Amino acid sequence: MEFAHEQAGGVTVVRLAGRLDSAAAPAAEASFAPLLAGAPHLAVDLSGLDYISSAGLRVLLVVAKRVQQASGKVVLFGLVPNVREIFAVSGFDRIFTVAEDAAAALAAAQ
Amino acid sequence: MLGFVEEIVLLQLDEGHGGFADLPLAAADIVIAGAAVMELALQNRVDSDLQRLFVTDRSPTGDAMLDDAVARLADGGELTTASAIERLTGSAAAYREEALRRLVAKGILREENGRHFWVFRTRRYPVVDDTEQREVRARLRQVLLTEEIPDPRDVVLICLIEACELLGLVLSTDEAAAARARVEQLSRLDLIGQAVTRAAAEIRFLIRHAAASVF
Repeated sequence: MEFAHEQAGGVTVVRLAGRLDSAAAPAAEASFAPLLAGAPHLAVDLSGLDYISSAGLRVLLVVAKRVQQASGKVVLFGLVPNVREIFAVSGFDRIFTVAEDAAAALAAAQ
Repeated sequence: MLGFVEEIVLLQLDEGHGGFADLPLAAADIVIAGAAVMELALQNRVDSDLQRLFVTDRSPTGDAMLDDAVARLADGGELTTASAIERLTGSAAAYREEALRRLVAKGILREENGRHFWVFRTRRYPVVDDTEQREVRARLRQVLLTEEIPDPRDVVLICLIEACELLGLVLSTDEAAAARARVEQLSRLDLIGQAVTRAAAEIRFLIRHAAASVF
């Protein structure tokens, strides 16, 4: 799994790519941790994420919980079809705001 | 912190009398097996997607019950989440006994042996220390009655309670009715939990259908 982030105004854009599964979950959690300080405003680009498992979903759930606790915002965008399907089946598409594209995600995460 | 098998065994016990909640044994076994699989998932020993469940780490967990579960899941062909749960249901009685033994050893339960009509041996487990039960119920009430996002352990407990139809332990009848959609939403968040809830509901449906046919 690849994890990168950059600032875009007041929003941190996070890019996840590859596979987010049990092998990648601990590293993903550790990579998210410093970005969750304060009141985080995150736009998470999943367009390069080919696969997400139960373990990967749990990483995102913890991110959503921490962001909510800190009164921040997190918006996802760029979901590929199989990731969109697992989000629909698990109801994660109701936990997260999912934007159509980067511009909409940046606006929503402000 | 208790493991999920201990948590759900504890929640199934009637606080006053120490007897088990009324749940068909086959469904209770599915819930115990599911609790073990979900414990392994949260310890990153198994992982799953919409098609399969796979063992990702066979190294010892330090818990004999979980090590047994990993060995059983790893010993065989490809698994779906449903077949993984089914594979562990044969061990559910042993896991339940082990969970009860641990709860007694931790001073949470007391074992009472007796006889029914002076003939049948009975065992009850009155709760000695209800701190854990009260804390779990308070945490789940907070998650179910607000828009708070649950953590993964809370999601698993909601799935297990839903699978046992024990929501009444956590919410009043009116609260449970009002929170129905929320319970269904949260119990979908764990893919393994979904399979446990579905399998337990199927067993209950079959038993009720069979009972309705008889009477």
